[in-house]
Amino acid sequence: MKQILVIAEMLDGVIQPATWEITAAAAKIKKLKESGQIKIIIPSDDPLPIAKETAKQTGMDVIGLKSNDLKDYDSDVYKQCLFKLVKTIDPSHILTAHTSQGRDFAPGLAISFNAASIACVNEIKKDDKGLLYSRSVLGNTKNMIVRPAEGIPVVLTLMPGVFQPDNFNNQKKGRVEICEIAFDPDCSNTRRIRHEKILQKSCENKTLKGAKIIVSAGRGIGKKENLDAIFKFAQCFSSSAVGVSRPLVDMGWIGYEHQVGITGAAVSPRLYIACGISGSSQHLAGMKDARFVVSINNNPDAPIFRHSDLCIVEDIDPFLQAFLKVVQTK
Amino acid sequence: MKSLICIKQSNESGEMNLFDTHAIEEALKLKQKFENRGYQEDFSVDVVTIGPSENSKIIKRAFGMGADKGYHVITKERGYSFSFETASRLAAVAKKESYDLILTGIMSQDLMAGQTGPMLAEILNLPCVTGVVKTELAADNSSIKVEQEMENGFRNGLEIILPAVLTIQAGINTPRYPTLSRMLAAGKKEIMTFNETDLFSKKTGAVQAREIFVSMEDPQKTRAGHLLQGSLADKAKQLFTVLHGKALI
Ligand SMILES: Cc1cc2nc3c(=O)[nH]c(=O)nc-3n(C[C@H](O)[C@H](O)[C@H](O)COP(=O)(O)OP(=O)(O)OC[C@H]3O[C@@H](n4cnc5c(N)ncnc54)[C@H](O)[C@@H]3O)c2cc1C
Ligand SMILES: Nc1ncnc2c1ncn2[C@@H]1O[C@H](COP(=O)(O)O)[C@@H](O)[C@H]1O
Repeated sequence: MKQILVIAEMLDGVIQPATWEITAAAAKIKKLKESGQIKIIIPSDDPLPIAKETAKQTGMDVIGLKSNDLKDYDSDVYKQCLFKLVKTIDPSHILTAHTSQGRDFAPGLAISFNAASIACVNEIKKDDKGLLYSRSVLGNTKNMIVRPAEGIPVVLTLMPGVFQPDNFNNQKKGRVEICEIAFDPDCSNTRRIRHEKILQKSCENKTLKGAKIIVSAGRGIGKKENLDAIFKFAQCFSSSAVGVSRPLVDMGWIGYEHQVGITGAAVSPRLYIACGISGSSQHLAGMKDARFVVSINNNPDAPIFRHSDLCIVEDIDPFLQAFLKVVQTK
Repeated sequence: MKSLICIKQSNESGEMNLFDTHAIEEALKLKQKFENRGYQEDFSVDVVTIGPSENSKIIKRAFGMGADKGYHVITKERGYSFSFETASRLAAVAKKESYDLILTGIMSQDLMAGQTGPMLAEILNLPCVTGVVKTELAADNSSIKVEQEMENGFRNGLEIILPAVLTIQAGINTPRYPTLSRMLAAGKKEIMTFNETDLFSKKTGAVQAREIFVSMEDPQKTRAGHLLQGSLADKAKQLFTVLHGKALI
């Protein structure tokens, strides 16, 4: 019975909530396979207290992967220490979150472990030949269903926010094991990657976070000048703020504090209006908790429409003008 | 200094993957700074793509932007190649010269995996940093300082010993357009082509796929998706009515 390994997402020595989503995905795999045992791996310089707490909370077995070099995330250290541990366990599945960390080390780990590697999985299913993994492709317009080649293990990174954490069976306590593994930087004594500092971009998006209504603009607005119309539109509502998709920030049209999405702000307004936004998974991740979503896009097949309550297929500019006219007459 | 940029033609648009245009731009900027410092040595920016023969179009575009050499591993059009196969082929090309810096995009717009760069690094046993939004070559050219984007507006400041692989995130720069004169010259420039048998010896054989394509499905709806009908003015009125009804306006 091969094991299903969950690699916990760690930040500043604290286990992150994404870990419980991956654990839920592991439980789904176990159920579909009708075999396997889940183990949660906690990479840390001092994993014992976290491992104990996790075993108690989840009822699952936990391995504390201990190394002084695991204090902070480093892709070389993670890949090597995890590989050494994983080799001894020989699991069928290795799961981690599709976060900046997970997608940094997981593909490399798959290479050294001769495993299949499937990134950003959003669903797990099964057919008569075995488990199938779904992942979003082509700008979120399709899901591609993939299976690993036969007889090899698979490394999966799981899309955040998709798998709902389970209620754990904490009647029983999981077992805790500590595995100490030394990192040796080959050939030289120096690490190949040196950590210098942590920086934070101006994250003053309090206005976005508190706003009841958010009007957001995407690349579909065409040019920077058209942001004016978006701001005017937003002024039709009280307690509103303007959000944008990432490309507008990347192109320097507007400040980062307006960005909604996985690398911007996560918002949960009562109303979210997406103007000329295609609906990439990275953008959706930031606005999926909005209560009511309206989308305006000139492409009837834009993925954003699948995630909207109200869909308007129109060119953004004339539509906003028509809407402003309606508002003026009221 | 030798750099290699991995570029892909998007299955969807037929254009160069957006993130890869940022990768080329970043290499060209590093080259410019390098040359401004007046080293004796050259800084070369080579590009490589794996794909069917019509993909040579994006190599020409890269020449138009200022790339030096172009490699094309020609594969038959047979649906999707997964990152492992691509990374193995890229590694075989990269091994032909000793590159100091290899850049890829953070992800391809069609496959959206973000795996090729870190896999390539592992196959070549090079350090790798994903999601790079800033670069600066050290004065002695033995390392590169980068900023790596994390969640919630955080960035890691890292220094990586060369040779290394970096995956480039949009926002790092504004890719230049190919110049007309360069595009004209690009037509005459030679692209070095390979096929699978040139890259892998009989002994090792071709790359074995580790992931298998099963099917494409339409994603599920997560919300009602009520489509407004009528003229432009009708739709505007309807939107107002709905929002007014919900006391949102
Ligand atoms: C690691 C990573 C993190 C990322 N983080 C984020 C993030 O936090 N937030 C984010 O938004 N993105 C993020 N992205 C980028 C993301 O993948 C998409 O590229 C981006 O969300 C697309 O923005 P868009 O919808 O504005 O542009 P596009 O995808 O180009 O869509 C434009 C849309 O406008 C429509 N349109 C065009 N013309 C008109 C018109 N005249 N009228 C109406 N509609 C029109 C088109 O039909 C299209 O649907 C991230 C990417 C990566 C790799
Ligand atoms: N067929 C290819 N040829 C050259 N480079 C590629 C190819 N596919 C992917 N890449 C590189 O790998 C990056 C990430 O792709 P992916 O792993 O498919 O998301 C791209 O931005 C390219 O730089």
